[in-house]
Amino acid sequence: MRIVHLVKPLIRALVMVHIGWAALNYAHAQGAGVAGQVTDSIGNPVVGAHVALGGADVRASGHRTATTDSSGIFSFSGVPTGDYRMVVRKVGYADWGTTVSVGRNAVKLAVVLKGGVRVLDEVLVIDNHVERRKQEESLNVEVVSKDFVYRNLGGSLMESLERLPGVQTIGIGSGQSKPLIRGLGFNRVVVVDRGVKHEGQQWGSDHGLELDQFAVGEVELIKGAASFVYGSDAIGGAVDVKPEPVPAPHTRSVSVDLVGRSNNLGYGGSVRAGGRSDRWFVDARSTYRRYGDYRVPTDTVYVYDYAVALPHRRLRNTAGRETDLHFTAGYLGSRFNSILYLSNTFHKTGFFANAHGLEPRRVDAELHDRLARDILFPSQQVNHFKAISRNAIHVRAHHIEAELGFQRNFRQEHSPYVAHGYMPPIFPDTLGIPASLEREFDKQVYSLNVKDYMEVDRHQLTFGLNGELQHNRIGGWTFLVPAFDQSTVGAFAYDRYRLTDRLLLHGAVRFDHGNLRMHGYRDWFPSDVPGGGQAYLVRAAELHRRFNSLVWSVGINYEPLESLLLKANVGKSFRMPIAKELSADGVNYHYFSYERGNPSLSAEQSYQADVSAEWRAGGWEIQISPFYNYFPNYIYLNPTASFDHFYGAGNQVFEYQESRVLRYGGEVHVSRRVGRSLTAEVLGEYLYSRQLSGDKKGFSLPFSPPPSLVMGLSWAPDRKGSPYVSVDYRLAAAQNRIVPPEKKTDGYGVMALRAGVEATVGGMPIQVNMQVQNLLDTRYMEHTSFYRLIELPEMGRNVIFSLRIPVVNKQS
Amino acid sequence: MERIKIKHLFLAFGILSLALACSENNDGTADTEYPVIDASFTESFPQQCSVVKRGKMLVFRARFTDNVALGSFTVNVHNNFNHHSHTTEYGECADDPEEKTPVDPFTYNKSFDIPGAPRTYEAELEITIPDDVDPGDYHFEIRVVDQTGWQTLRGLSIKIQ
Repeated sequence: MRIVHLVKPLIRALVMVHIGWAALNYAHAQGAGVAGQVTDSIGNPVVGAHVALGGADVRASGHRTATTDSSGIFSFSGVPTGDYRMVVRKVGYADWGTTVSVGRNAVKLAVVLKGGVRVLDEVLVIDNHVERRKQEESLNVEVVSKDFVYRNLGGSLMESLERLPGVQTIGIGSGQSKPLIRGLGFNRVVVVDRGVKHEGQQWGSDHGLELDQFAVGEVELIKGAASFVYGSDAIGGAVDVKPEPVPAPHTRSVSVDLVGRSNNLGYGGSVRAGGRSDRWFVDARSTYRRYGDYRVPTDTVYVYDYAVALPHRRLRNTAGRETDLHFTAGYLGSRFNSILYLSNTFHKTGFFANAHGLEPRRVDAELHDRLARDILFPSQQVNHFKAISRNAIHVRAHHIEAELGFQRNFRQEHSPYVAHGYMPPIFPDTLGIPASLEREFDKQVYSLNVKDYMEVDRHQLTFGLNGELQHNRIGGWTFLVPAFDQSTVGAFAYDRYRLTDRLLLHGAVRFDHGNLRMHGYRDWFPSDVPGGGQAYLVRAAELHRRFNSLVWSVGINYEPLESLLLKANVGKSFRMPIAKELSADGVNYHYFSYERGNPSLSAEQSYQADVSAEWRAGGWEIQISPFYNYFPNYIYLNPTASFDHFYGAGNQVFEYQESRVLRYGGEVHVSRRVGRSLTAEVLGEYLYSRQLSGDKKGFSLPFSPPPSLVMGLSWAPDRKGSPYVSVDYRLAAAQNRIVPPEKKTDGYGVMALRAGVEATVGGMPIQVNMQVQNLLDTRYMEHTSFYRLIELPEMGRNVIFSLRIPVVNKQS
Repeated sequence: MERIKIKHLFLAFGILSLALACSENNDGTADTEYPVIDASFTESFPQQCSVVKRGKMLVFRARFTDNVALGSFTVNVHNNFNHHSHTTEYGECADDPEEKTPVDPFTYNKSFDIPGAPRTYEAELEITIPDDVDPGDYHFEIRVVDQTGWQTLRGLSIKIQ
């Protein structure tokens, strides 16, 4: 009985995809017609809504589906006499359903859809919201499904998305990474998780994003400046991580994910269980992941000239573990819905033991090499807690959304005490700081977003308000960034104007105000001072800065042909300087750098022009998206030609400066479908950046990815659940345009293999995915990797197996 | 007909973009070379595993070179009694068998501008090691930075007796 419950939605989905359209065109001799118009609550036609006609007692093949046309009209002809259940669905609206009695006469229906949240249901299989999202957004947007994430499952979410052109990562080890969009990262990319900006320690390159990649629904990537929607920091782009779809009405479901990795002996799993009545639902997920030291295709690495032997080719102390918990509950009404998300992620990993940052360290190799899974010193751990309440209400012409969030990011770095500079040789036990606590960052953030969507004639207006309050505290025996409090508030208005069916115009303005209050910090140990003698140095003075910013964006979407979509966007974006840029005054011993902030920095600004052309027909799909970007004052950490033996304890002075920066580049995506199941594609990305002023005039920017090309061939018959096999060859050029302290990186080619199948075992559908990354065990270095500076090669061959078992139990 | 034209246009555009992507943008001006701490300089002192006496003068000598212009250098001496080591040199010296707790370890930490931004510079520095400092294993770190900001470092293990 249970099997029937499980298989039914699958069959239904299959039918909708393949037979739905056929059934629509199939002319029945007898019966009457059913037709109608779908409009939204203010009478505008809803285009592309999915209309399903059927009934619980009707066999699956009796199902008929239709999609509304540009006037919101749908029709079925030759419907046999009887009672039917009709359901109308459209992304962004609540489902609409009714019973239709078909007799001899034609049935006319007027359907009014109300705003709602997206629901997980079988109908989503043929949902085209991704294309529509791309069509209606003038920015360059990529939408990635959960399936994509599963097929490309990397050690972390960003690694799983790396195949997309224009997206790179700054990775450390095998389990953590940060996004880099068109070469910009850190605080220049906003990550939005369930509607609220994710706040961690974005500025650091040696740790990753605190997100559970199993708990991710869809991921939307905006390449290029998007400040007018996401506020400060979205100067390089945005990664909008959507939650998993809520369970369908009257269902209970359990799903299990299992993953195993060969390279780092990693294993992990995630279990989700949830259920929903008509309007109430609960949903919980728990994820556990553990991995050992990862392997590289070499026996010896050279930290400077110092040879470090790696028995079993394992990078000492790069193991880690992750534990994540999620709980979601909500109410989904026709006019009002509210969802509460609670989540906690914990991640602990080691740093490569022979070098802490760039600093070579001697280690007890025997101790480290005894176990591949233990996490010894130096190590880092981070705990990220979130509570987010998302609410939406539909009142007349308005659709109002509000998110209220609290998050706490608690991060620690542990290492045995090493006296650097003027630090006393023996760690005093009178400080109240554990001797192993090198750094600690404690961030608490309160967020509020309110958005009001409304439609007036041909205008789709959005008004929004964002507010954020941050408290940042520090700890540990080294100093990099002072404690600070920050509040920001922003308001925007965005108009999407549909001039004709083929032409959309966009215009937006946004105003932001930010307030930063830095706390003072004084060293806990005395240092030599220029006048002779010793003193406890003031590393950060109290500082109060305010920033105001007005940004704008205009765009156009034009579809001259059914198969051609053209987009253009011009805009200004901004970013408030961060505490580190304004107030750093400490030695980063891991980089041999003495980093000096600049309290007079102004808010970073950027002008960007984006063009995109997308053409698809006859099995071809071609997308070209060039961009041009100019920063009048890019905030850049400039390595100078001097050392400082007082404040900097003899380290090289790195100073924050502003320089004019020019960047351009783009992505190309060409794919060709051959026959019914073969697809060949080429994805290319190119980026050029140049500093036009300042000390490093003529140089590039740090972390500039080299041009790269992915050539892929995949075989995937167009049937749901059928197997797929694909091969990727990634070719990256050498990166010779570098800036201190970077190193030139040679080009490389790596191959990856992916395959998967969906099978039914004991009545349960099981999705199996397999990947072989770095198939040929190629030794190469990634220019944007954290470990690039000490010449550590990237991970060797890695076989990843993943298994998904979704169990959906429909209630009667 | 129209479609074919567009297809060709796209392909041409795509190929052009790729060609652009593959052509190396050479500015010719940017200095991307690190300065060098000349290992072949015979008079350089100390060298890996050198031994120096307490109460004596340590005369530091090194030759720095750069393709464009040198900036400054720094010398740092600190104890390695816990054998933490950040040596950058191939091969190791015999450490004292016992790790020990520092009482009055010797430290030296000073930086110097290289005058005139030359391409070659021979540094000489007199460092007095007091009588009463802890003997044992020390690190002798030399770093040089060029005018562009490229830094090269060398970490040597030395012994103070």
